Amino acid sequence: MNAMIKLLAGIGVAGLLASGALAQDHSHHHNHANHTTLGAAEVRQDDSIYHLDANWQAHTGQELTLAQLQGQPVVISMIYGSCTTACPVLVNDARRVYEALPEAYQPYVKLVMVSFDEDRDTPAALAEYAAKYNLGDDTWLFLHGEDSDIRAMATMLGVRYRKRPDGDFDHSNLVTVLDTQGRIVQRTEGLNRPVDDAVKALMKVIDDNHLMHH
Amino acid sequence: MKYLVGVLAIAVSAQVLAEPVLVEGGQYVPVVVLDKELEQLTMPNFMLDAAPVTHAEYQTFVLAHPKWRRDTIPAIFHDGHYLKSWQTADSHAVDDADKAVTQVSWFAARAYCKAQGGRLPSLEEWEYASAQYRQQQGLTDHEYARMLFSWHTNPTTYAQLPLDPVAGKLNHMHDRVNEWVEDFQLLLTNGDDNDVLSGSCGDSARFMADFGEASYATFFRYQSRSNYRAQSTTSTLGFRCAYDVE
Repeated sequence: MNAMIKLLAGIGVAGLLASGALAQDHSHHHNHANHTTLGAAEVRQDDSIYHLDANWQAHTGQELTLAQLQGQPVVISMIYGSCTTACPVLVNDARRVYEALPEAYQPYVKLVMVSFDEDRDTPAALAEYAAKYNLGDDTWLFLHGEDSDIRAMATMLGVRYRKRPDGDFDHSNLVTVLDTQGRIVQRTEGLNRPVDDAVKALMKVIDDNHLMHH
Repeated sequence: MKYLVGVLAIAVSAQVLAEPVLVEGGQYVPVVVLDKELEQLTMPNFMLDAAPVTHAEYQTFVLAHPKWRRDTIPAIFHDGHYLKSWQTADSHAVDDADKAVTQVSWFAARAYCKAQGGRLPSLEEWEYASAQYRQQQGLTDHEYARMLFSWHTNPTTYAQLPLDPVAGKLNHMHDRVNEWVEDFQLLLTNGDDNDVLSGSCGDSARFMADFGEASYATFFRYQSRSNYRAQSTTSTLGFRCAYDVE
């Protein structure tokens, strides 16, 4: 099993390194407020995970609450920076979802990675992580938070985790799609899974909310 | 009238008696082992409420934090039975003032503790306190196991008993309600070797340190916890808060 995980992780890392920057042309969507800025708004949907009112710090240094992600679909997962096994695969899985979207849909999606590791994954450390894997463009958001808020987030997403005595984390591997209101619409459990369902879910959210302008 | 005064006096004193107590740190061997390599934990000092939070105390919280009224709480923070036993959205049932509050979700319990300047205890903190409580009470393994099995046989009856705390020490760790802990979603297995979402009874029993009756009784409590969801609001599940020591 371990060998399998390591193999998968190896493929994931190779994928990250090989594909370089997310070199999509973002110039055509700068006028879409739902993507380039994160407007604050009251959370209205009763079953939205955006009811969690914690403050997060992004790898960019930006402070935000989850409610500010409203208005666009989000692919969200939880990782920690010093994790070299499952986490790079999870990041790559989010990227695979993104890249499997038709190009016209891509600008409307945010990829959010929340760290388990309050101590080590400072915003600066997360910025380094993003830079190392060429995930620095504004499609990606790496979030640093406090232990208690990380716990609440994981609980909302159904991610189980535990900090080990050696400082690393046991955690479940989950990539979740949230709609524009922060409701869970699709979850993929495991590593390196097919992305079709996540892609379909994202396209539906974008279509149903008429996010694409013509 | 005399009776009423008596009830009020008990209500007030119960609240004072439930003040947090110091749980002195030390070495501790968990019954359910999560790390193959590490079987003994070193626990720091912390404070723990002497008794579970009561309906009366919870009512004070709800009045100050209307977001946590049962008619305003977002659906995502509970499973539909939040404070269902209450008479109205801002008052508990008449006879319940001194009973442990139940039908509160993990989210609600955390919000309460945060408002008191505390937090939910971690699973290890709670279990460590429970072990100390057993010593304080002079409970033999057999007495402890009998108490827990008795509780599990009829938890609703126990949950309905008023609290009767003694000042300055831990009370009612095993004979009223199960209690929320911060990390109740116990990881049953280790790392990447297993898919933790599929953990079951059989999986966790492998990690018991011994199979004596006391350990088995404790294991029951772990098992109950792993059946909860953060939204759960059962009538036998309450909580107490923990506080860091400077």
